[in-house]
Amino acid sequence: MAEAIQKKLKAEVEKFTQIQKDVSKSMSLRQKLETQLTENNIVKEEMDMLDSVNTVYKLIGPVLVKQDLDEAKATVAKRLEYINGEIQRYDALLKDMEKKSDQHREVLSSLQQEFQKAQGLAVGKA
Amino acid sequence: MAEKCKMSGEHYGGVVRLREEHEKVVKDCESRVDHWKKVSGDYEALNDRLKTLPDQLSYDIMVPFGPLAFMPGKLVHTNEVTVLLGDNWFAKCSAKQAQKIVDHRMKHVKHELDDLTKTMKNFEARVGFAKDIETMSVVSDYVDIREDVRNNAEIVNKGKPRVAHKPKSKPKLGPVIDLKEEDEKDESEVCKNVLSEEELWTRLDELEKLEELQDEQDILSDTADMNGEDTSSSSSEEEKDGDPPASVNGLSLKPSWITGPPNKAPSCNDTKDEDEEEEVHSLPTISFCHTVEPKKVRINTGKNTTLKYSERKEQKDHSKKKKKNGHGNGHAEHYKITTPADIYRLFVDVKNGEPIPRKSILKSRSRENSVCSDTSESSAADFEERRMIARSFSHDDATNHSDTSDGITEEDSPTTAPAHPTSRFEAFSGTVIEKDPMPTTVPHLTIAHPALPTILERKQEEVGLEVSSSTDTTFVPPPQPAIKKLSKFKAARLQQM
Repeated sequence: MAEAIQKKLKAEVEKFTQIQKDVSKSMSLRQKLETQLTENNIVKEEMDMLDSVNTVYKLIGPVLVKQDLDEAKATVAKRLEYINGEIQRYDALLKDMEKKSDQHREVLSSLQQEFQKAQGLAVGKA
Repeated sequence: MAEKCKMSGEHYGGVVRLREEHEKVVKDCESRVDHWKKVSGDYEALNDRLKTLPDQLSYDIMVPFGPLAFMPGKLVHTNEVTVLLGDNWFAKCSAKQAQKIVDHRMKHVKHELDDLTKTMKNFEARVGFAKDIETMSVVSDYVDIREDVRNNAEIVNKGKPRVAHKPKSKPKLGPVIDLKEEDEKDESEVCKNVLSEEELWTRLDELEKLEELQDEQDILSDTADMNGEDTSSSSSEEEKDGDPPASVNGLSLKPSWITGPPNKAPSCNDTKDEDEEEEVHSLPTISFCHTVEPKKVRINTGKNTTLKYSERKEQKDHSKKKKKNGHGNGHAEHYKITTPADIYRLFVDVKNGEPIPRKSILKSRSRENSVCSDTSESSAADFEERRMIARSFSHDDATNHSDTSDGITEEDSPTTAPAHPTSRFEAFSGTVIEKDPMPTTVPHLTIAHPALPTILERKQEEVGLEVSSSTDTTFVPPPQPAIKKLSKFKAARLQQM
């Protein structure tokens, strides 16, 4: 009995760690997105400061490609929206994963208790 | 004491850990602050450079060539600066514009710096607090009062959160009364007793009414059975229609008093229903539980109408037997409505060579409107007319609840009749239908005129009650013949349509 419970426990622990990893991954991705968000916000504001007289370039690979100011503004705005959407998506994902991890945690704790009981019984018997 | 020490030890350990975590955060904040300070310094230097750069047309400089070499060169176009805006975007600007951008960035950096300093302060405060707790627990001049939550409580509940009792549960009154009256009885028993007492009162009232209406009951028993079935369907209809549940309950009550007390239990919950019943019973036309019927009226679908139709037909037949006053005289006759059956006769306008009773007064109109609910104004007007007529009839019928009620005052009918176009006797379609046990009535609820029926129903309830009483007397067929009749009527209607 104790061995079976031990196996169960191990399996649960693995699942739990897996979920934790996923959670941390999503968290880091989300943070990355947040930095991108702030950066794009700054770019947008600075572009608003410029006139159409200035030429705007975009770095595509090793090449600086000339862009229209208005086009650039539109592109940045779109990118901002995209980033916001992604952040929301990741938020939802994180919530989900947290819930799952909580569930696993509960299962783990219950299994641990059972294991301890079983061990106690085994000790008692022995 | 040992336990206390243990607990305090654990507690102490926890506090230590807390303090350590807080300190970690503070350190992290410090490093970030340093980083931002560096950035800020860089930007300031840049600002200075931009200020001085356009002073000369060109500068002689040592240009870096790779990581290790330099080359002498010249710096030209001193006013043109290509600025990295972020995210791989570049912009060519003058030195002044670049300065503006730099200022803007400085703002952002300052903002970040401020936030970081705030959080750092916060966590420093927390660290101080944790230290205090540590010292307190060690010195033990101040004792931290702690109470461990016992697991026993959890075991009792079995880990289930306490569930709030639903407000609808009845037994609330029970225990109070029981305690007063008897202490020995179990709560459950007491609750039951309490409930039963309430029920008993309601039943007593109902029984009294029943006794009064014994004669009618016999007649109505048949119809009551029908009504019971109808009530179920009508009740469902009512729910859909959103009519006050009272009427439905009334209907449900009806079968209850006919079938006996046991059915009253469910209906006892609604005092309203009982009241309605009481009211109904007080009048000679008690059988008007059919109030639900009016809802059926709304259902102009063939099925509903057929149900009604069959009832009507029976009424018609019955009335015909009783009276040979111009059945199906048509419009002229409808003034002489002496029995509810006459009404149906009147509504039979559409005749394909036969005075085929309409399934619903609305039906004739519904034909125009098709099966779908049609809330045309004309139909609305018709409904109103019907209502008036129905009321008049009901009024008359009130005096004579049985089929043979001769109380119909022609005075009322003629006044209402002229207004009522001969072709449409739609008002009573609903009332008649009550009897039909057909479950088909249930699905039809949706089709009725949405706006009209609600009003009609109520009014028709009054009428329906009377009509139902009359119809009850006439209609005594078992469900099977009713079904057959339905088909006939259906066919007739279909032909009409």
